Amino acid sequence: MNIVLRELRANMKALIIWCVMQVFLIYVGMLKYAGMAEAGNSVNDLLAGLPEIFKTMFGLSTFDLTHVGGYYGVFFLYFILLGSIHAVMLGAVIISKEERDKTADFLLTKPVSRVRIITSKLVAALINIVAFNLTTLIASIIIVDMYNQGQSITGDIIKLMIALFIIQLIFLSVGVGTAVMTRNTKKATSVSTAVLLITFILSMAIDMYSKIENLKYLTPFKYFEARQLMFGGQFEAVFIVLSALIVIVLVTVTYIFYKKRDMQV
Amino acid sequence: MHIIEINQLTKYYGKSRGIVDVSFNVEEGEIFGFIGPNGAGKSTTIRTLLALIYPTSGSAKIFGKDCIQYGPEIRREIGYLPSEVFYYDNMKVLDVLKYSASFYNKDCKERLYELADIMDLDLNRKVNDLSYGNKKKVGIVQGLLHSPKLIILDEPTSGLDPLMQQKFFDLIHEENKKGATILFSSHILNEVQKLCHRVAIIKEGKIIKVEDIETLKQSNYKKFRIDMTDTITDTYFDVEGVTNLSIHDQHVTFLFSGDINVIISQLSQKRLKNLIVEEPTLDEIFMHYYVKEA
Repeated sequence: MNIVLRELRANMKALIIWCVMQVFLIYVGMLKYAGMAEAGNSVNDLLAGLPEIFKTMFGLSTFDLTHVGGYYGVFFLYFILLGSIHAVMLGAVIISKEERDKTADFLLTKPVSRVRIITSKLVAALINIVAFNLTTLIASIIIVDMYNQGQSITGDIIKLMIALFIIQLIFLSVGVGTAVMTRNTKKATSVSTAVLLITFILSMAIDMYSKIENLKYLTPFKYFEARQLMFGGQFEAVFIVLSALIVIVLVTVTYIFYKKRDMQV
Repeated sequence: MHIIEINQLTKYYGKSRGIVDVSFNVEEGEIFGFIGPNGAGKSTTIRTLLALIYPTSGSAKIFGKDCIQYGPEIRREIGYLPSEVFYYDNMKVLDVLKYSASFYNKDCKERLYELADIMDLDLNRKVNDLSYGNKKKVGIVQGLLHSPKLIILDEPTSGLDPLMQQKFFDLIHEENKKGATILFSSHILNEVQKLCHRVAIIKEGKIIKVEDIETLKQSNYKKFRIDMTDTITDTYFDVEGVTNLSIHDQHVTFLFSGDINVIISQLSQKRLKNLIVEEPTLDEIFMHYYVKEA
């Protein structure tokens, strides 16, 4: 418990900054929506004229931007990108920083097992990503409601946040997994963000070239997409199972590697 | 009972040597010195005892229990001061110490303040504002606040001023009187001689000798450096107790152990330009051990 509290305190400032950023992003985004909704169909006409690659890059290809749900769906792409960056960095740093700051000799000579250390750190990280997720959820519901003149999309927002949470979990485990395998913070953060960027670019490439559609299993960004989840869509079982597998494997690897390794001075 | 029981402990970092076949025991209630030059394997041995690193082969027991398998349980009764002290930079000293205390199932508060007072440590400063010596003090308080049965100190005095060193030695003596066993690693022979009952000497990863401090004191080496007025033959220093003799024209150096009067009366027969008698460095002592064993 003491390690969890210590980690929560250590990450408090960063978490607050992330959450404030998230609320700000949603607020500014919805402010822009208000403008677009007024402009009406001319926005969609304008977008239709843009090149396909451009639209894919900004996630604009399939949504009706004048509809609040469509607009929010575009937004979601940025949430998962930010949420996964937050999670992957958090995971990579929370494990490896003890050796970076040379505090491993302090923590690991206390009467705690390495398993308990990892568990405590995972619990603290989990609380952090839940806080990120809940902030995004609550800010979305409140701010979207302020600008929404049509039907409520709260149900869709909740569904999207569940998807966001699963993706956060995946990247948190990518972060902790690389942290125990690479043995130092710099490498851990660069390798894990590289994984994140590569999978993200892959997801965009898949949007552009339908020929490589089968690669979608390789990138978590394709597992839960707003256009499939919203407007009455459902989670696909195969991707939920796949996500669970990734998380379980990486977390297990984290425990095994951390238990076996020599702490560096 | 052996408090520490090390059995053919070997550690390689990849291909490079850490320690090879290290074996020795530390008995209950003793202050055990662990001495050797930098890179000899002192920290490697200690970090293996604390399960920070895993042995390549061999094993070690603390309180009669395997130090890897029962690590967390054993560490309840161990206080450890690492050779290089690092703590969470953004925390206040008091918070670091409270965090440290929170790992033990006892109330350490009183002892915490008592120790901080003895070591003259300001609890309200942030760790990253502290000098090296002050960080070392945090380490000492952190290592002792739960009144452990076994105290492991890895080069504890570096960075402490002489006054603090003295206070620290008093503290260690006091803990020892209360029943704590102490493993004390150092590369300074003098401080080990002052404090310890027995000593293990390690060099290049191997234990050269485990010896009573009294025996070590008897073989108390002095290093002589002499400038003579005339050149001299080496037979002149053919005196019992002289080793490592080297003569360059009028400049003579050697190690001497034995009755100091014998060598002084021998020297008084010659005219000297200069005479320096000093503590030999650890390396010179080790050289001697090698010579003796060869």
